Amino acid sequence: MESFIQLLVSGLATGAIYALIAVGFSLLWQTSHTINFAQGEFVMLPAFFILAVMNAGAPFWLAALIGIVLSVIVLGLLFKVVIVDPMLKYGVLPLVISTIALSLFLKEAAKDFYSSQAQPFPTLVPATDLAVFGAVVSTQSLAVLAVAITTVVALHLLLHKTRLGRSMQATAQNPTLAKILGIQVERMVLYTFLLNAVLVAIASILITPIYLAKFTNGEVLGMAAFLAAIIGGFNQVRGAILGGLILGVLDNLSAVYLSSQYRGAFPLLILIAVILLRPHGLLGRAEERTV
Amino acid sequence: MNRFGAIALGAAAIVAIVAPFFLRRYGIYLISMWAVLTIAAIGLNLTLGYAGQVSLAQGAFVGIGAYTVALLTQAGWPYPVAFVCAGALCFAIGWLLGYPALRVQHHYLAFVTLAFTTLVFLVLRNEEWLTNGIYGINGIDRPVLFGWSTGSALDFYFFCLGMLAFLSATTWWMLRSPWGRAFLALRENPIRALSLGLDTRRYTLMAFAIGSSLGGMAGALYAPLVQFIEPNSFALGLSFNLLLMVIVGGSGFFFGPFVGALVAVLLPEWTRFTEGYYLLIYAALVMVMMAFCPSGLLGLVGRVSKAMTRRAPSPPLLRVEGTDP
Amino acid sequence: MSAVLEVSNLRKSFGGITAVNDVSFEVREGEILGIIGPNGSGKSTLFNCVLGQLLPNAGEVRVDGKPTTGMRPCDLNRLGVSRTFQLLQVFPQLSVRDNLILAGQEHRGSMLSRLFGRSDAGLGDAAERMISFFQLSHLAGEQAGALSYGQQKLLDAAMAFMAGPRLVLLDEPAGGVNLTMLAHLRDRLRAYHVERNATFVVIEHQMEFVMALCTRVLVLAEGRVIAEGAPQEIRRNPAVIDAYLGH
Repeated sequence: MESFIQLLVSGLATGAIYALIAVGFSLLWQTSHTINFAQGEFVMLPAFFILAVMNAGAPFWLAALIGIVLSVIVLGLLFKVVIVDPMLKYGVLPLVISTIALSLFLKEAAKDFYSSQAQPFPTLVPATDLAVFGAVVSTQSLAVLAVAITTVVALHLLLHKTRLGRSMQATAQNPTLAKILGIQVERMVLYTFLLNAVLVAIASILITPIYLAKFTNGEVLGMAAFLAAIIGGFNQVRGAILGGLILGVLDNLSAVYLSSQYRGAFPLLILIAVILLRPHGLLGRAEERTV
Repeated sequence: MNRFGAIALGAAAIVAIVAPFFLRRYGIYLISMWAVLTIAAIGLNLTLGYAGQVSLAQGAFVGIGAYTVALLTQAGWPYPVAFVCAGALCFAIGWLLGYPALRVQHHYLAFVTLAFTTLVFLVLRNEEWLTNGIYGINGIDRPVLFGWSTGSALDFYFFCLGMLAFLSATTWWMLRSPWGRAFLALRENPIRALSLGLDTRRYTLMAFAIGSSLGGMAGALYAPLVQFIEPNSFALGLSFNLLLMVIVGGSGFFFGPFVGALVAVLLPEWTRFTEGYYLLIYAALVMVMMAFCPSGLLGLVGRVSKAMTRRAPSPPLLRVEGTDP
Repeated sequence: MSAVLEVSNLRKSFGGITAVNDVSFEVREGEILGIIGPNGSGKSTLFNCVLGQLLPNAGEVRVDGKPTTGMRPCDLNRLGVSRTFQLLQVFPQLSVRDNLILAGQEHRGSMLSRLFGRSDAGLGDAAERMISFFQLSHLAGEQAGALSYGQQKLLDAAMAFMAGPRLVLLDEPAGGVNLTMLAHLRDRLRAYHVERNATFVVIEHQMEFVMALCTRVLVLAEGRVIAEGAPQEIRRNPAVIDAYLGH
């Protein structure tokens, strides 16, 4: 039972990180029909920004802040202006392909310009173990959980309790109507991109201590993001959060109770199950049939 | 096809037949690889360029085809049978994979194929009793067909070239049939196509299954070409590579895969001096291309020739019954 | 005479807005029903629900007594239901003739027989007949994208008729068409109607077109049916006049 709690806590911690990545992904889709295939690499990259700044002599907390800012500029603003906007006029498919190429580009760039070796990454708190309800839980998991949950709550407050957030949601659900209501749709879309950049940067800081900074991180994290978004329902932020948490817990449990060799197969099975049984995801709305 | 295109095609065919006599072993290996990859790219072009779906599993299908042929021929089965099995197996898997994925919107096929590629890699790596795991399968023989031994580099190249000609002719024939018209409708205006009774879902699924089957057949040629296969060759990287090939060549153009595969095979050779940056360059190239010329190199050629001759281009993809030549 | 199309208690909402609110009506064989109403009254949404383009929240649609609510447009088409589009939906790259061939190909044989082209036999002739019926012979080989707007509208209708449908839903066929072409279009529609005893449902804004073509008219306002009857009665109906003036 103790190990179950331990797994549950660390699963929720990982799941909360997946949730952050999935929420950003889901928001991008909703507001601008951008399927960002490079979302995984977006999470991989900020860690390298931070390591580079630290190599230049800055302490971790400062490097982290700079990393977040860099992330907002490069993965938020530049991504939107240089890649997404010019491609949107061609439709969704060329944009998907562009982001696939982008994911490859970012992965290779990290490998070529930083290192192909896994790099250690500082944790938020010194790694020790605590006894919680008789189970041994690492402080790292708790810290991750705390930060992730705080971010998710802050996100929720932003999206539901502030005027800005509600405008962003309205833009996500029905851009035409939002425009009629006087919302500056273009600006809201930009904010979504910036928000995504912040979320992936935070996720990066949280997950890289565990995964180590590797240029290949994007593959796994990207898949987790897509899965969480699909499980929860492509068009719902709450769904992405739920999907991320579920995925994190299941993933952790499966690592222990299933063959470790096939751990990577678990995503496919979940994906197929969701698509077959409940294609709209757990919380998604049944969308209008287009074709 | 206009006159310029016909001449270019004729010249290319002559080059393809004559070139190997001027090349050394490695050069012949390269052009054989080009032929094999083109077949896989033709398959992916069907899925992407004609049916408009992103598949990230074409590399996995090549792998499935390669292992099928390697295992069957080493168990004593005749090569032609193994070849057909590879194609049929990939067709079936493609259908099974696509059926649930295409019932939903949002390019779910892209995600499903992404996960599938991971799964295939894991199976190839873990199931040592079947695939020999990470040690791979060695000593794959080149087939002897009706008395003709394809063992030498030159002979095997002509075998690959012949298969390429045969498979692309078959694809051309399919695209000239009502199916080709259906694919066009599916891509140009799926809403209208639906209202005309065209079952877009089924045609898309068919395109994906056939495309995957071609991937398997490419794999069936790949195995005897390289004569040693291991799981890493068929991981996500190959799928990405094939996707980029189709894009760079021009997705939806019949000859796009030929051009794209040529670029993909030659680019590492040309960028040798950049020491492994070639993938970075390739990816950057694709992004730039998507921004300025999403219809790829052949699209660029089309635009340039349109500007030069100032005549409306014939639909670059297929001929429909009744069109003026 | 049985109803070719039956719509019962259809409702469709988007978020907080109910675009179609409890709409019921029947269309009998051989009728030409016009559906009119001010902008935003839910006409297009109603059409899209009937045609399977949208999934209604409540209510039923039946074609020849068979329930078809939520059926995919391609399956509906094979039951003999066709449509034209408000925004042009021809295939601009193909010639006029090829557009028609494409429009007719899915109704012969199975998917597999289509691969071997056998079901194509006769399709070319059918296309020619349609071309001459609509008097587009001089344009048969032209790229559809090069035609004028009005000519494309004719092609749109021709494509919808290729399969020989029993029921055709026309979405604002007169929109943006000049008067001469309009008369020609109306004439061709009436000719098809007579020849095949087909049933039409027409959404239209242009009153004269509706009055001249339709045998019965339905008026929608804010998602509800507010009047139904012969064209002349509708014209004089105070509720209808109100609805239009109120906007």
